[in-house]
Amino acid sequence: MTKRDTTGVQSPNSKAPAELASRHLLGIEGMSPIEIRSLLDRGHMFADNPHDGVSDALRGKTIINLFYENSTRTRVSFELAAKRLGGSVLNISVAGSSVKKGETLLDTATTLNAMHPDILVVRHNCSGAALLLSQHVDAAVINAGDGRHEHPTQALLDALTIRRRIGRIEGLKIAICGDIANSRVARSNIHLLGTLGAELRLVCPVTLLPADICNMGVSVFTDFETGIEGCDIVMMLRLQTERMAGTETPSQREYFNLFGLDSGKLMRAAPKALVMHPGPMNRGVEIDSATADDVEKSLIRTQVEMGVAARMACLEALVTRPA
Amino acid sequence: MTATRFFNAHLIDPSQSLDGIGYLDVIDGVVDAIGLGTPPNSGKFDQLIDCKKSCLSPGIVDMRVQPADPGAEHLESLSTLLAAAAGGGITALACLPDTRPVIDEASAIDSLCLRASRIGGPRLYAYGAATKGLAGHEMAELGLMAEAGAVGFTNSATSINDSLIMRRLLAYSNMLDKPFIQHCEDHALTKDAEMNEGETSTRLGLLGSPSEAEVIIIDRDLHLLRRTGARYHVAHISTRAGIEAVREAKAEGLAVTADTAPPYFLLNELAISTYNTAFKLSPPLRSEDDRQAVIEGLVDGTIDAIASDHMPVDRDAKMQPFGPAQPGASGLDTLLALSLTLVHQGQISMARMIEALSLAPASILDIPGGTLTPGSSADLILFRPDSSWIVKSANFRSNSRITPFESHPVQGIVDATYVDGTAIFLRD
Repeated sequence: MTKRDTTGVQSPNSKAPAELASRHLLGIEGMSPIEIRSLLDRGHMFADNPHDGVSDALRGKTIINLFYENSTRTRVSFELAAKRLGGSVLNISVAGSSVKKGETLLDTATTLNAMHPDILVVRHNCSGAALLLSQHVDAAVINAGDGRHEHPTQALLDALTIRRRIGRIEGLKIAICGDIANSRVARSNIHLLGTLGAELRLVCPVTLLPADICNMGVSVFTDFETGIEGCDIVMMLRLQTERMAGTETPSQREYFNLFGLDSGKLMRAAPKALVMHPGPMNRGVEIDSATADDVEKSLIRTQVEMGVAARMACLEALVTRPA
Repeated sequence: MTATRFFNAHLIDPSQSLDGIGYLDVIDGVVDAIGLGTPPNSGKFDQLIDCKKSCLSPGIVDMRVQPADPGAEHLESLSTLLAAAAGGGITALACLPDTRPVIDEASAIDSLCLRASRIGGPRLYAYGAATKGLAGHEMAELGLMAEAGAVGFTNSATSINDSLIMRRLLAYSNMLDKPFIQHCEDHALTKDAEMNEGETSTRLGLLGSPSEAEVIIIDRDLHLLRRTGARYHVAHISTRAGIEAVREAKAEGLAVTADTAPPYFLLNELAISTYNTAFKLSPPLRSEDDRQAVIEGLVDGTIDAIASDHMPVDRDAKMQPFGPAQPGASGLDTLLALSLTLVHQGQISMARMIEALSLAPASILDIPGGTLTPGSSADLILFRPDSSWIVKSANFRSNSRITPFESHPVQGIVDATYVDGTAIFLRD
């Protein structure tokens, strides 16, 4: 029961692989609306037919997951996406690898490159690491999150989730709430949802607001309830304590009181407002369990499901790209 | 007795307001006569040099150079450092104390100066570390280092953040009549920072530090200075607010000076957009408004001097993601040509530029150089200001080959560098 994307002219349920201008997928910034829509359309298709063997574009291809930060959902999601397309997947997590012995990112890249993978999926704690890697390997590189910079496949799966539920993105009022400063998810979503015509609001304590972000086409609120007023989507972000200096918020208790989402605060959003979270959640810090688990309002589980479909579209697009 | 005459030279000597075609006579390493027009037909010269209307000016005095030798000779030996300086038209340079071991005692100054004099080339001076091991806690032996020839004191690439230590250092420097050179950075504000804070840092997801980190230290130091006295020098100034503070302090009559380096008047933070670590510097590249303020400061003399800010960095330390990459870049080979960019753009006069590169730093450090008045040492350079070339770090004389100006087109070629009237560099 897919609905038509009012912002697109092509069918949302695309029969052909998405077409990308770049041979890597490093970020949403700079991608055209056409590229984004073609990925979403193809993602729709994969979401509709999860086990159909719609495409075996990755048959005979090798995908390496290189994760410098711990991750369960993203890594598994990429692995599943690749396998559904017939690819062989190799997971390298940094704990216990030569990286722990002091090998640099570029040495690791050179080593992996010698094994001729087709796609390298990389997550790294430094902004720009995926770009750096892409400059030194022959494989196509997918950025699975670099520092505070971008997490393009997360934004794509978020958009796919919204489109499947509401049918469009253009004109929606979307609030992105919480730890904006340390969030690559926020940056990718600002680029993507903004490009597709959503009205974006950022809601966070002023200490978690990065400099001059209002130049990125968003409006900014430091009062939570005013910020989400009338919004169709309330997207909560994880408080990234591992990236914080400890000076940004006084306590988790205060944070939840002022900026955490519960059913009471959600009343201020639009009547049929939906709740999203990229996970993993800090329950009781940025969101309470009742709201997170509300099957009517929460899209959090759909997001995970859409992760596989969106990543299938990305992997397929990179290997079928005309040379 | 050795006598040399340079004739048909475009003389530029801001100390005498000289700017025109003329001649310069050097006898036994000392300027004997200088004048516009045709030289008088007197005297016998061992050497007559037709300058073919090339510029002849005082040699460059580079007041901020980080040697890697001793301690990291594989990055840059003292020989390649001095050769690169000579090739860049630098006749005198002042070395930062951040070597291994740190230059925090008299013998280290002796050793460095002695080794440089054995190698020959530009005059080499050394700053003494302000604190032991540059740790910022205990005052180093400033008095003994001053006796050994330290031209000033500095904590190199870090600020003195402890106000009490800073007060003592200023008072002590004043007693010794040596300038205190401060890298101005409030380290609490810049902790973990990867670049200047602003829209670019937000887009790139790099942790920004606010530009106020510079002026906060300048302001504090100025307050201390009013109490202690001293000659206070702000190194590689890079922000509009910092420059305003220095401008006001000068108007007030405080003994405050400042220098900057080419990246801060030629580049801004947008250069970092591809995470190229060659653009990672300390202080970080700032906003376009700050860059304009640096140019204004150079033009009106608020910023007295330009230094190369030469900093050898291991290539491996740059082959990293932007965050963990080490800041710093090479500067000796490109200092003159990059600085002349502002002259070619019509933003600053040639005379003012030469002053900023020679006379101003020489007088801040109270060392010879910066002038061609009769009786002064014949430290001079011959250069063609309009000749163009492309910056290729592979061709640097310096062994430190990280530059944010790779492939930049520039104008200005040094043909010869003289110290005490003797050529230390002649272009083939």
